Amino acid sequence: MEDENLKTFLIPNDLCKSAGIAGTWMSGNKIGVFPYHNINHSSKDAPSQYTKNVPSSVFHVKHEVVLFHPILRRLVTESMGIFLNLQTVVENKPSDYKQHLQQFSVQYRSVIRASLENLRDEVLRATGEERETLQNFITIFYSVECIWHLCEILYIENIPGHVVIKHLLEWVRFHFPKYERKAAFLLSGESIGSLESRQDYWETVIGCLLQGRVEVVRALLSCHSAANSTHFKLADQILKSMPTYGVYEGVSVQEFNLRWKHWLVDTQSKIDSKLFISEKNLHLMMRLIVGEEMAWSEVQSQCEAWYELLAAWLFYTEPTVKSFELGAFAKRCISRMGTRMHHLDRVLLAAMEGDVQIIKEIQHMTENGWFVTHLMDLLYHCEQLEKWQTDKEDSLKLRHSFVFEYGNTLAGHKSLWQLGLNYLDHCFPDGLAAIELLLPRVPINDESKAHRVIQEAQKRGLSHIAHSVAKIEGLKSLRNDRMGNALVWALRSQDSNFASFLADKFLKKYVDTGILPNVDLLSYLGSCMMASDRLIFLGKYYQFNKLHKDKSYREAAKALVSLIASKFTPKFFWSTLLSEALTLLECDELLLSSNDVFNLLNAVEERLDCLCELDELEPLIRLGIARNLSRALTYEAQYT
Amino acid sequence: MFEAAEINAEHKDLIHDVAYDFYGNRMATCSSDQYVKVWDQIGNEKWTLTSSWKAHSGSVWKVTWAHPEFGQVLATCSFDRTAAVWEEIIGETPGPGERGTRHWVRRTNLVDSRTSVTDVKFGPKCLGLQLATCSADGIIRIYEAPDVMNLSQWTLQHEITCKLSCSCLSWNPSLTNNHPQMIAVGSDDNTAQTGKVFIFEYSENSRRWMKIETIITIMEPVHDISFAPNLGRSYHILAVATKDVKIINLTPIKDNSSIQSGLTKLDVQTVAQFTDHTCTVWRASWNVTGTVLATSGDDGCVRMFKMNYINSWKPVTVLKGDGAVIPNDAHRGSIASSTGVLTPPITQTARYIKLGSISQPRDLPWH
Repeated sequence: MEDENLKTFLIPNDLCKSAGIAGTWMSGNKIGVFPYHNINHSSKDAPSQYTKNVPSSVFHVKHEVVLFHPILRRLVTESMGIFLNLQTVVENKPSDYKQHLQQFSVQYRSVIRASLENLRDEVLRATGEERETLQNFITIFYSVECIWHLCEILYIENIPGHVVIKHLLEWVRFHFPKYERKAAFLLSGESIGSLESRQDYWETVIGCLLQGRVEVVRALLSCHSAANSTHFKLADQILKSMPTYGVYEGVSVQEFNLRWKHWLVDTQSKIDSKLFISEKNLHLMMRLIVGEEMAWSEVQSQCEAWYELLAAWLFYTEPTVKSFELGAFAKRCISRMGTRMHHLDRVLLAAMEGDVQIIKEIQHMTENGWFVTHLMDLLYHCEQLEKWQTDKEDSLKLRHSFVFEYGNTLAGHKSLWQLGLNYLDHCFPDGLAAIELLLPRVPINDESKAHRVIQEAQKRGLSHIAHSVAKIEGLKSLRNDRMGNALVWALRSQDSNFASFLADKFLKKYVDTGILPNVDLLSYLGSCMMASDRLIFLGKYYQFNKLHKDKSYREAAKALVSLIASKFTPKFFWSTLLSEALTLLECDELLLSSNDVFNLLNAVEERLDCLCELDELEPLIRLGIARNLSRALTYEAQYT
Repeated sequence: MFEAAEINAEHKDLIHDVAYDFYGNRMATCSSDQYVKVWDQIGNEKWTLTSSWKAHSGSVWKVTWAHPEFGQVLATCSFDRTAAVWEEIIGETPGPGERGTRHWVRRTNLVDSRTSVTDVKFGPKCLGLQLATCSADGIIRIYEAPDVMNLSQWTLQHEITCKLSCSCLSWNPSLTNNHPQMIAVGSDDNTAQTGKVFIFEYSENSRRWMKIETIITIMEPVHDISFAPNLGRSYHILAVATKDVKIINLTPIKDNSSIQSGLTKLDVQTVAQFTDHTCTVWRASWNVTGTVLATSGDDGCVRMFKMNYINSWKPVTVLKGDGAVIPNDAHRGSIASSTGVLTPPITQTARYIKLGSISQPRDLPWH
């Protein structure tokens, strides 16, 4: 849904104004804007006219997202829970499916109400700009709850026959509680002196009457000193006998209307007989309940809002009004009260008129799509959205676009990104693709976050992202010289090239320092080290090293021979390997069988021609081999 | 509502390009003052200048980051006819004339071009580490680093000749088995009467880059071009900055001729055209998910366009420079002297301030 008026936001900077600006996206909803003037290769390569020691600044511009304010955190997380449960229910489609939808609506509203209470508590403690911000939130979410409640009544709740007056009254009573409070106070007996002498007595009585609280009115009247007089008793009688339509009372609309018209005529005649003239307020009340226009004009100033007046007036004049008839009556009330329409008024009217404009109006509530997303999703599942759109597919696309947008907004936040993913999961078909683009870009400042990102990737079968994150973590560890950690990540990333590179580093370190780094890690990794040839070599070399340290020389020797015979030895490592071989050959104890030695000789000869660095070692090796061979052969001849 | 935080970029001349790393935590800027500067975000909106060095002997036009899987790597291109690849090394002290706690070394200098190199872009990471450059002499060069752990070795793999002077290029980020490698190139030539946007594709059969499409509907000089990130679509979206903003859908068609030649055939549809800037558009940039396009034009504005739920593109926001200057919270350290004395890093904490706005009635026709 588009804006009719496009807003231009101003970057406060002189250079930006004179030179012009350009922008590059940063991440999520942030864009970097800088002063820019196009110069191309055909212009002279010289300082531009804009250099005057005026500093060039980059502006990081972002969309203000009120939802990111910490105080709304609970709202965001709890509503996500409700959203996900709703999607599950919809997928499973139990038989009382529609009933569930209303429950979800109630849950959403209670989350808003809880947030409002929290905000009201906080605003007392806050000062200055923060206080203003919180006040703003209260205004916004108050309106949100008010509109949501009305939408629930009109579109979600399954009201038989669409006769909504009772619900409407309940809605109004919740939002204008002042009369209830006053009445409670008056009835509590705490007020000193006679009630009617109080300035607010009649105001309260009439206020309660307007909210359809007939019982309370009767109670208040009975507290009047003249309660036992004829006209009071008569008034009480009339109020008591007033028929009210109750959907579950088993009375049909026609039957009710009959009774009600009867009662109207009766009451009117009593008014005409001037039975209530002596108490003007009572007289007014009687005229009100029969729907006399003049009487209503007198009291409308007691209503703060047109919808207060609407509910009241309908209760007494159109008690069986249907939800879809509200629009016309609403307009009448608005013009009667001469209301200047604010945003909230427009939305409520649009809701009552069943006008598709409501979607656009809701979008303009500045809470970054929380409201429109969750409500439209619910209305989509109630099949209400498609009544406003021309076809079901369009309504699906509309619902999808809101959820997608909301998911994207959350996914760009450093702590709320996981919530964003959950919304995008329910945005077929491009939700998963968006996750593939957004998840890798979640900034990772520590390893636990890396693990979480990998987990989220694997949950959705995005192993390429998991591997990519692991590789990047491995590179980070490498840059910080944490080789063991880098190796662990490299294995996780399944990048054999990277693993081989690290294995080389390990071996090089051994060549340089004589110490094999991270031996604990190598022993722990054991069988994982199959990712690449170089890694296998490292693993085997580690085994050899360990055996040597443990003084299991015979096994060590065997391991060494197999290492040398394998094709995996890196060039730079040969001299080390052969020196090790030399020490074993020179050992007093006979460690190698003749077979082994022959293998050794073979391997060495094969490689000698291409390894000229071993010039010094070569004669020693040959000598060692020869000597060992002679000993081995002698031994074997003796004992076999 | 929008908010902005200001970072003083300290270049001595106009900034030509700003690029952010993959996560939006590091910023590289380049300028006509021939310097490249790298900034790091170290806290909430706290940015520090960690490196600043003279990268070229001419204006530096573009700077771009490689995917973090290759490490901390930047590429730049310049009026001095070269492109360069830089890698960050930690722990070494900076050389003379440089500042910062990190050190960037030049890994390679690509000197094949005879004219100003106008754009440089890394290829999608699944292709390995590839780099494409385009020059004013109309040649597009594709380089590759065969060993990604050693960035000093780069080979020139392909040279593609485009008959017109090139100003911009873009790799198609969507790569699957169905989509071979693809590059779009724009030309800012203003004399020839031909299309100014060319699409090239890498043919596995002939192991060469082949031109598969010239967009003849765009005849005016093109200044920037960008493929949108792909949200699982079967078609590609290309944004073109020319005399106006154009958004083009390129849909691969499977028919006999394309199967025979092994090259993709594209159906070209201009799905949106915006004259909101009312004059030349210089830059076009997509956000991460390819849902919002930001363009910059000669009207001094940055304009954003978004696709609505019924798949039609609409302008959504406008940013514009305004004269009023706000007090800057930045703490400034002393400027390094030419003897290369180390100075403490300059950290700036910028507060977000709300941007003022003005409303304008829509007076331009929609597409």
